[in-house]
Amino acid sequence: MSRHGAHHPRSVVGKRMPLVDARRKVTGSGVYTEDIYLPNMLVARILRSTQHHARIISIDTTEAIEVPGVAAVITGAEYPNKFGVIPISKDETALATEKVVYVGDVVCAIAGSDLYAVEEALAKVKVAYEPLPAYHKPEESLEEVPEKIHPLGIGKTNIHRMVDQDFGDIEQAKRSAAITARGRFTFQGVTHGFTEPHAVVARYEVDGRLTVWTATQVPHYVHRALSEVLGIQMHRIRVVKPMVGGGFGGKSDPFPHEMAAAILSMRTGRPVKLVFDREEVFLTNHGRHPTSTRMEMTASEDGKLTGLDIEALIDGGAWSSFGVISTYYNGVLSVAPYDIPNFRYKGRRVFTNKPPSGAMRGHGAVNSRFAAETLVDMIANELGIDPIQLRLRNLIPPYTDTVNHFRITSNGIAECLEVVRKASDWDSRHGNLPYGEGLGIGCGFYISGSALPIHWDPARFPQSTVHIKIDMDGGVTVHTGAAEIGQGSDTVAAQVVAEVLGLPTSMIHVKAQDTDLAPVDLGSYSSRVTFMMGNAARRAAEQVRDELTAAAARLTGYAAELFTLEDGTAHCRSRPAVQVPYMRVLHEAIADRGALVAKGCYRSPPMGGSFKGAAAGLAPAYSFSAYVAHVRVEPQSGFVHCDKVWAAHDCGKALNPLAVEGQIEGSIHMGLGQVLSEGMRYHKGQLLNPSLLDYKIPTPFEMPDVEVFIVESDDPEGPFGAKEAGEGPLLPILPAVGNAIFDAVGVRVFDLPITPDRLLKAIEEQGAADATATSSKQGSTATGRTKRGYVAGGATDEPGPALSRNQR
Amino acid sequence: MNLPPFVLHQPLTIDEAVATFAQHPGEADWLAGGTDLLPNYKWRLNAKPHVISLHRVEGLRDLTPTHIGAMVTLRELEGSAELQARLPVIPATARQVASVLLRASGTLGGNLMLENRCFYFNQSEHWRRSWEPCMKAEGDRCHVVPQQELCYATFSSDMAGTLCALDATAQLLGPQAGREVPLQELYLFDGIRRHARTPGELLIGVRLPECAPTWRTGYRKLRLRGSWDFPELGVAISIQIVDGALSRLRIVLNALEQAPRSLDSVTKPYVGGPLSDQAIEELAAASFERARPYRNTSFPPHYRRKMVPVFVRDLLRHLRDS
Repeated sequence: MSRHGAHHPRSVVGKRMPLVDARRKVTGSGVYTEDIYLPNMLVARILRSTQHHARIISIDTTEAIEVPGVAAVITGAEYPNKFGVIPISKDETALATEKVVYVGDVVCAIAGSDLYAVEEALAKVKVAYEPLPAYHKPEESLEEVPEKIHPLGIGKTNIHRMVDQDFGDIEQAKRSAAITARGRFTFQGVTHGFTEPHAVVARYEVDGRLTVWTATQVPHYVHRALSEVLGIQMHRIRVVKPMVGGGFGGKSDPFPHEMAAAILSMRTGRPVKLVFDREEVFLTNHGRHPTSTRMEMTASEDGKLTGLDIEALIDGGAWSSFGVISTYYNGVLSVAPYDIPNFRYKGRRVFTNKPPSGAMRGHGAVNSRFAAETLVDMIANELGIDPIQLRLRNLIPPYTDTVNHFRITSNGIAECLEVVRKASDWDSRHGNLPYGEGLGIGCGFYISGSALPIHWDPARFPQSTVHIKIDMDGGVTVHTGAAEIGQGSDTVAAQVVAEVLGLPTSMIHVKAQDTDLAPVDLGSYSSRVTFMMGNAARRAAEQVRDELTAAAARLTGYAAELFTLEDGTAHCRSRPAVQVPYMRVLHEAIADRGALVAKGCYRSPPMGGSFKGAAAGLAPAYSFSAYVAHVRVEPQSGFVHCDKVWAAHDCGKALNPLAVEGQIEGSIHMGLGQVLSEGMRYHKGQLLNPSLLDYKIPTPFEMPDVEVFIVESDDPEGPFGAKEAGEGPLLPILPAVGNAIFDAVGVRVFDLPITPDRLLKAIEEQGAADATATSSKQGSTATGRTKRGYVAGGATDEPGPALSRNQR
Repeated sequence: MNLPPFVLHQPLTIDEAVATFAQHPGEADWLAGGTDLLPNYKWRLNAKPHVISLHRVEGLRDLTPTHIGAMVTLRELEGSAELQARLPVIPATARQVASVLLRASGTLGGNLMLENRCFYFNQSEHWRRSWEPCMKAEGDRCHVVPQQELCYATFSSDMAGTLCALDATAQLLGPQAGREVPLQELYLFDGIRRHARTPGELLIGVRLPECAPTWRTGYRKLRLRGSWDFPELGVAISIQIVDGALSRLRIVLNALEQAPRSLDSVTKPYVGGPLSDQAIEELAAASFERARPYRNTSFPPHYRRKMVPVFVRDLLRHLRDS
């Protein structure tokens, strides 16, 4: 499937292999945080706010502490130090100190011998609140208010962050455009739906050291936050990450419950376990922001995209989390993969009294991507240009900069488009399928690791470091702080090291659990791990390789540079007969000096502009993707069945094609949920569906057949050419389905999720419009219904139509 | 989440079960498959101190085309070759309940006696404390239809719709005597009382008419996903056509209100006449008029109502032409 990368013959990299921890997972023998039982351990639970916004007058715990079996009751007053994943917006405390800001906020935590005692005690805590006005609609949070939700609100408003960027001349682009497509899109908040609820075990030792086992994507940030909140030096804290049952961004913040468990253990001197139930996971959220996006896209008569104007209002809920970055990402990641010379973005993130929003797979880019790809499709349809053809005319070439100064390196988007076009038989089927059946295209673009680290201290600190140790037994121990959360980072580390050393992955033992042992990696977010940890691992392994080839040289008398390591043997390239087994070489290498140790690290090269916010969206590489979706729409009921997806993703080089396919299939499943069925629904600010029954994640019945095409553009800086495959593959499926619905029934819905009731309403409105129309653009079909352009919802309240042509 | 403490009783006979229940008036629940009761218990929804398991009770597992015991699992209904041959609508309905795993535990009796559901009821203790509790839980008012008289929680049993359309009879056994009532009459349009069972009466099974296999019966379910979800509308229809005329027509709308609703006054004028396209359109329109969904499930009520004529029309055509 690839024409790239074929010039590197590889023995491990590029081979399909199950993840190294797969057996432990499928047999149930893997140890997750909840599986940890320590002697004398207590269990803990959290008392959560029943108020949306209220001042805490008092918390009376006197009866609670008397409950037999209860060991400790804690409230927030004693631990006022703030933490947060982004250093410039630290706002959370271990437990609420003066106010609660959403239903679910952490008020009190209790540890006891068993859950019954703890729950009885929780019921006996008396909290007196003074209710404050609550704000649930993001529009209200733009206004000045008497009592701000949050001290970080700008002025007297609940605005958290304002981003204004302007490149080129968007007004001129609009004046000179032949066609303008516009829409107001709304997106319900969605949440990660990972399998394993949040869980933590904390143990404070008699020697004054604290160990915290926690289900996290970011052990290093948890490490820092624990130190800040507890006032303990980092080196006295050890963070251990057991197996993690999925994260998707929902475990990429330090959390209050991690602090609470630690405090309870310090208070009691006993280990404390705290595991969430599913409702707590929904309330803790940190999922994708509920968003309202106005977008305009301009084009010339021949289909050249000339301008993109975005205005996004994103609902941050109660806390900052990654919100500063989310505000940027809702705009700045929308330009590419197209070459659009004029771009303006106005982004606003506001606080509301709802569960906090944060980072979720495809962080910040997903909603705007849906909007942009919809507008591209509308322009193509109006101009009578094939949507794939129009996209091909507008692609940004490899090795160029975008208008907002992103450094594009490898770029396989054209090949992605061509491969799905051919596989789906697009040219003969798109626009020609019977009423109710349609094909749609969507593209994607995403960062392969945020180039700038969140933390600037200490200066020039690497984003990832990997240690390797090989002793006389020949096994290779790889220490990394990169968090394996199911995405396969342990396997990447094993494959990269195995490739360099010419060994099977069964000889590589990845230890990625423990801050006492592993060098720092910033964590599993922003699709950075394969790129950054992979490079660090490769560099560490290459040092070991050099020591081994030097030993082979000593043993044989041939120059070290002549040796390659393959199949557990050092081979002399110029003398094929000269071969030395790995163990012999190793023992020579460690003679008189002990185990081989090496380290490698990675820091992104300098890049980007110098304007405010220039760093947001910079990455050492970018992934690209294009999907075609086939849908069947039941016009009577509005049900959409996506039954086939052709998915092409440029991940540079697939280190493990099986894992890349899994990421793409999983992304499609997740994205289908957001576009068709999932949404966090509120009634007066109260989350109505905090359960896996009422929050509608697609089942296997909704999962389409997926044909994956891995495009390998061979990135010059990625490890063995690799880029990310964890988040970018989510982006195209949403617009591909939306555009396929349009091809099927001639209707566009701008409000996600496109549930059957919403689509049926749009189809009915179109029918009413058709009844008065004399002709239709695409003509009648066999069913007598027409497929003509119709936009439901958002676009209609804009000044002017969803599509307008300048009169010349 | 942990279960609240309760005493578990495990009687071996029907009489022992009924007698045990009678010893704890108002303080006991029957436990069949547990897939409905135990999640509600974990949410502390009207949990009782005594739970009487029917798991070991003998005589509740008959499975014939005329009699189905209450403890027959939905999975067994789904896989019954005899039902498949004679009353395929029953396996077809069972197959649409929840998921395979839940059907392996869930029973016919449990499904027929399913607790009514509502966004404002099926929530955790914490959720209910952060909202004004509803009358079905700890409170005294309804948030669906704001008033303090009647609970509008929705009845979401798939099997009930189909069995009502099949004129099934519920077999009940109480401390004093046993009785049989048409299943349809067992249900009340009251989300709290739910059925006209006297305290301590146990549903031991359903009886089906001998002639039911000669009817054409079908069931359509509205739900967003192909698994797990409760119905947001269930339409069960049973017809018989003799010499081109309807000799029987029953339309049951389910999962819209607190109980299944049989549209007998709507269908009566059509019995004796042909099931023409026009008749079907009229029946679909009349069903729409009769449908009264409430705002307490995932889909908005106007949409659920809009689907009523779609389902009625499709199902009537399908039954007529099959």
